[in-house]
Amino acid sequence: MIGKKYEVFAGSRRDFLKAAAIGAAGSAFGPTAGWSQAKTLGFMHESSFIKPFDEYFQKKLAPAYEKATGVKVNYELTSVGGLQTRVATVAETGSGPDITLNFFTWPFLYNEKYIDVSDIAEEAGKKNGGWYDAAKEAVIVNGNWKAVPFGNVGQIMCWRQDWFHEAGYDKFPDTWEELLEAGTKLKAAGHPIGFELGHGFGDNHGWLYPLLWSYGGREVEPDGKTIAIDSDETAQAVDMARKLFKQTMAEEVLGWTDPNNNKAWLSEQISCTNNAASILFVAKRDFPDIGKVTQHALNPAGPKGRFHILAPWSHSIFTHTEDKEAARAFLRWLMQPEQVGAWYAAADTYYAPFLHGFDNAPMWQSDPRWLPYRDSLATSHLPGWPAPITRASTESVAKYVVVDMFAKACAGASTKDVIAQAKAQLKQIYGQA
Amino acid sequence: MSGRAAALPVPLPRPGSGAAFRRWTERESVFSWLMIVPPLLFLIALVGYPFVYGIWLSLQDRPVAHAGTFIGLRNFVTDAHDPVFWQVARNTFIYTFFATILKAVGGLGMALVMNQVFPAKNAIRAIMLLPFIVPTVLSTVAWMWILDPSFSVVNWLMFQMGFPKPGPAWLGNPTLAMFSLIMINTWRGLPFYGITLLAGLQTIPPDLHEAAVIDGAGSWARFRYITLPLLMPVIFIVTLFSVIFTFSDFQLVYVLTRGGPANATHLFATYAFDIAMSGGQFGLGASVALAMLPALAVVILGLAFYMRSR
Repeated sequence: MIGKKYEVFAGSRRDFLKAAAIGAAGSAFGPTAGWSQAKTLGFMHESSFIKPFDEYFQKKLAPAYEKATGVKVNYELTSVGGLQTRVATVAETGSGPDITLNFFTWPFLYNEKYIDVSDIAEEAGKKNGGWYDAAKEAVIVNGNWKAVPFGNVGQIMCWRQDWFHEAGYDKFPDTWEELLEAGTKLKAAGHPIGFELGHGFGDNHGWLYPLLWSYGGREVEPDGKTIAIDSDETAQAVDMARKLFKQTMAEEVLGWTDPNNNKAWLSEQISCTNNAASILFVAKRDFPDIGKVTQHALNPAGPKGRFHILAPWSHSIFTHTEDKEAARAFLRWLMQPEQVGAWYAAADTYYAPFLHGFDNAPMWQSDPRWLPYRDSLATSHLPGWPAPITRASTESVAKYVVVDMFAKACAGASTKDVIAQAKAQLKQIYGQA
Repeated sequence: MSGRAAALPVPLPRPGSGAAFRRWTERESVFSWLMIVPPLLFLIALVGYPFVYGIWLSLQDRPVAHAGTFIGLRNFVTDAHDPVFWQVARNTFIYTFFATILKAVGGLGMALVMNQVFPAKNAIRAIMLLPFIVPTVLSTVAWMWILDPSFSVVNWLMFQMGFPKPGPAWLGNPTLAMFSLIMINTWRGLPFYGITLLAGLQTIPPDLHEAAVIDGAGSWARFRYITLPLLMPVIFIVTLFSVIFTFSDFQLVYVLTRGGPANATHLFATYAFDIAMSGGQFGLGASVALAMLPALAVVILGLAFYMRSR
């Protein structure tokens, strides 16, 4: 909520009432001083998994910006998992903070309530060595940047060096076939693999879409209309998932949501999983012995290549924002190399920068095990790729069409049946039933 | 007294004064409305408005943050062609049916036990209420650990008793996951049944039981012919409430499985939320949520008729 409301009172009584109402709404959403003359901006984020990241903004960036410009930035944190409901409410009601963090495909979902920030994004790209293509895929809606990309919470392979070594592997298997072979040995040795097949947000999509793509499968063609799930390529990916499940995993993974593989890892139940950097981050901090033998690697490749899921963070300005120029100025300032670089570094590479200028930033050297998170960016795509992000593709993700296709096959259904069911669902979602 | 009262000058109501207003408000027809209006406004604002808005949403193609277009019943037609929708409907009925039966039988047993005289009766009654008092999200997180395959206390006990490893995947196997959710729902809802039925039991006059004992009735006969018939109205009402709450359950599933594995535990409420929030399709989501209405309406009408017939 932007202040500077004192100006309005010179206007009509209706303006006065409007300003009063906005002031009241502002005070309901944060410590905004509705009547004061200080300018304030509301900046909404979800509590970060990495505490120093939020603290860096609150203690360093916000005071620095206030000192430089006199504008106070209220960093409004929602609880973990609570941001989307909040963004939807703010977008629907048109009141609340001015700038918000986005996950996944939100710039597409809330497109109409976000302003075009192409100029800011392009300037930030120029100043920081250019954007990764993945960043553009994440935020460009109908040719306009509807958000300024920030970083990627990558999902890659996490593997136990010691147990793989015991099974005869000193580097991570390069293909799914090789992983199957290694995993079979590891399970026999009492160290199964654990990939989420349930209804979480990240760790299921994190390996299932890349698996599908690496065999050449896709939900929909790039035209965004032609359903393409029913293919030999999809069938090969489904068969591989079933083999991996049967030969290398425990039944429990079918019911896993996102926290389960972290717990299983830190209690030494599994030898390999697909996850964001949170496992290594916590292991280094709280379980140093496990931390020492935790390694990362890119996803295995299939016959058609190697892929990763894109889990982008970006920032958008709401259309209801009163002083859009103030909000733009803040985002422009935030994306200057000094500010954004320091903020990335505060999170220890957890948010892999979408800007090539940080490819060789010192933070990457702090632990070479983080590097695959950077290297995965070149092959990362949003769920639904290579089709454009649309309402239908978002609905497919919300209905877990692809995840459940694999999960049903792993639970025992035939490849033909699960693909036919996924096809029927996609046809219905894309309005072709 | 009466003489004195008559001697006192009766204050004449001044025209347009507060006294006339007061007398008007004390007329029963007016007073009863005055009492009813606040809760009525409350209901309209917090139940009626969202309900009507939900119906309105369900008749639109209404993406989040985008103006809607009226499409009549097309969302419901979409639902009818959605295989997952029917799976969700089946899940919800299975979940409600078994959980309600278990709660009714268990709750009755609990009430009968609690109605006995034993030491520390009140303290134990209070403890029995705990599952109902603890916020569901908290207790469900505890259940998450109880059923976690790696740390499950249930599986640990089974290993101790000689069952082979690995133990059952309580939330990973589609059938077991539904079974686990029904059990947890029963655990949470049992005290509601227990305490309500206990209150019902205590209204049964002891002399009925005494008379039956003198006539030679055993404990089963007394339960069958005195306790159960007199308790029926309470059982009926508690069951209807329980059906409504169980049918529209959300938190338990959302915390434990989010509808997985492969939709085996998705209920109307969780499916509607996924479509409306993650999928950003308010209209379609509202239509899934409203699909609960016919079944619940039957239950509510049943309640209304039953209350009237008594």
